[in-house]
Amino acid sequence: MTVSLECAACADERAAGAAFCESCGRTLATGSPAGAGPQCQACGPAGAVDADGYCGTCGMLAARPRDHAEADSSPVAAAVTDRGLRHHRNEDAMWLAVRGADADAVVCDGVSASYDPDVASAVAAEAAGKVLAAGGDDLAGRIAEAITAAGAAVAELARTDPRRAASNPACTIVAACVRGTEVGYGWVGDSRAYWVPEQGEARQLTEDDSWATHAIALGVDPQSAWNDPKAHAITAWLGADAGPVRPRTDTLRPGEAGILVLCSDGLWNYLTEPAELASTVRAAVREAPDLISAARSLVTFANDAGGADNITVVLVPIHT
Amino acid sequence: MAYTAEAFQNEFLALGATEVNAIVTVTSSGAEGGRRTAGATEIIIVDCSGSMQAEGRMIAARQAAKAAVNCIDDGVRFAIVAGVSTAQQLFPAPGQLAVATPETRAQAVHAIDRLQANGGTAMGAWLKLAHQLFAQRPGDIQHAILLTDGENGEYKGYLESVLQEIGGSFTCDCRGVGTNWTVSELRKIATAMLGTVDIVARPQDLAAAFEQMMTAAMGKTSADVQLKVWTPVNSTIRFVKQVEPQMVDLTGKRIEDGPRAGRYPLGSWGSESRDYHVCVDVTAGAAGDEMLAARVSVVEGDVVHAQSLVRAVWTDDSALSARINRQVAHYTGQAELAEVIQAGIEARKAGDDRTATLKFGRAAQLAHQSGNKATEELLSTVVEIEDAETGTVRLRRRIEAADEMALDTRSTKTVRVGRGQ
Repeated sequence: MTVSLECAACADERAAGAAFCESCGRTLATGSPAGAGPQCQACGPAGAVDADGYCGTCGMLAARPRDHAEADSSPVAAAVTDRGLRHHRNEDAMWLAVRGADADAVVCDGVSASYDPDVASAVAAEAAGKVLAAGGDDLAGRIAEAITAAGAAVAELARTDPRRAASNPACTIVAACVRGTEVGYGWVGDSRAYWVPEQGEARQLTEDDSWATHAIALGVDPQSAWNDPKAHAITAWLGADAGPVRPRTDTLRPGEAGILVLCSDGLWNYLTEPAELASTVRAAVREAPDLISAARSLVTFANDAGGADNITVVLVPIHT
Repeated sequence: MAYTAEAFQNEFLALGATEVNAIVTVTSSGAEGGRRTAGATEIIIVDCSGSMQAEGRMIAARQAAKAAVNCIDDGVRFAIVAGVSTAQQLFPAPGQLAVATPETRAQAVHAIDRLQANGGTAMGAWLKLAHQLFAQRPGDIQHAILLTDGENGEYKGYLESVLQEIGGSFTCDCRGVGTNWTVSELRKIATAMLGTVDIVARPQDLAAAFEQMMTAAMGKTSADVQLKVWTPVNSTIRFVKQVEPQMVDLTGKRIEDGPRAGRYPLGSWGSESRDYHVCVDVTAGAAGDEMLAARVSVVEGDVVHAQSLVRAVWTDDSALSARINRQVAHYTGQAELAEVIQAGIEARKAGDDRTATLKFGRAAQLAHQSGNKATEELLSTVVEIEDAETGTVRLRRRIEAADEMALDTRSTKTVRVGRGQ
């Protein structure tokens, strides 16, 4: 996975794959001037960041690698994850592996109310990703196996610490593997997959395991369901208290060119209708010079809209 | 010795909130076979004032001192001080420390038989002599036991000036026998000297109390452990308290140590676990900001044994910020419990039964809710608890002085709650 970091010093200057920010010369890994010790971004030259990542003067946390990470496998696939503007850490995690034209992608979103949700999502994404890399020809079966493995890995976390045991780490998952023109996908929770064809109607492939979706299915007016404070409460997740994990899986043979989109609710919260999401994705792909820039501009879109949650988006173009 | 430090807190703060609370549990595993890495010196101070003649206290004190001497490990330095109007060294020769061997212990036991009750009470002078003797052994684990049965007879302010001078230089466990001594006076000594205070109401229980104290002292393997607390610029430490096994406010004992950091003395350590409550006021951050509110380290000299981080994370998600951390809530309750008991005792002594009943009622409620059975039982010797849940109590008409003193001295004893958040 290739990862480049947003420059912590000048937020808009990004140099994919570069070791230093092209604008200010700070290393992209630490946000420090090249050759000098890390400097605090909150209180300026007065503060130096200590080994544990906090400023020795003002105590503010320095940027962490997970705050913004990118995986650029253009033109096959591209993925970006970002802390957003209102959360203190990125509890989303992603996995992208590409071999030739094949791609495996996973997006996980940690449940904030649980303990160490960032660990849950990272563990789940990695466990699922590793299973996707192996496995047989039955794509839906492989997805189910990957999600089950992710669920077991997250549940295991609760045994490692009394605080985790009391409020077990939990996360959502959406996973996909693309083999030629066939796509296998599956999910638990409210992270989503969409099929956005070049033309025509876009489809939301996943159905959220959430209170709002259940309420709407039972006949509640969608508008009022989404406005309910419980709307985003998820009804299925990965975690020690999740019970047996029953991933919903399916396969897709689009028969037309388009883009498979996986994302966390940090993006789709601002684009609740598939049509809205599709037009935003199409515009991003049309206007960006390459796939990673398109993924990045979708993250910027969510941040401009408020950045209330962590944002993760994976784009996998599919050709006929 | 190997130490661990672990912070329990709800790091999430509502926007605008500035108060950060955490419970830090420090545990030493007593590795290296629990062997002392420092030498040790023990001094036993026995009150020999005239009043010790009563109720067979002197006989019991002799037995207790002998029992304590027999608990001293080979190789440990020790001395016995006879407390009268001045401090007189009973064993070994004045100004000397004995090295514990079967022979010196036997000589000490023999010397203890010479203890006679015929003098005054001069605690300041006794502590000062102990301090002079300890000064011969810098770096040792230094522990004293002070036994008294009465009030200090020195001129007003002298004891305080001695404590000011020698406070924290050695550990002193204080025991009062009978009921003619003052809890506040011994507590003052124990607090300044990082020791404990307790009542031994019946002289015949003295030997067991001395044995227990000396055995605990022999279990200490490190002399001078400290809690180093770093806090960010523009922050204020509200308090640093030991909250388990008993309440001890360490806030005033801070010694500055470099920019934005200070050290709080924890005394000597064996294989044990203690909890500390750290409360810091910081400047409020914006949503999504994360700040290190305190870096808490267990240190011995320049060696950092363990470290734990106390964090502050500002969020607009009230479901996160409204969470109450069980550890913090529990020990906040235990601190209030100690306060209301002492306030209740003060009020009752001042004849204000109304306030006393209110305070003891709240105490009964807190003790019950937190599962502090020992304190609830002690309370029931002073009040009749009609309903612990609501804190409904009635003052007992006759209260034994010993019971009230036991409640007072033990009001600072706390209990732990489950470790999950």
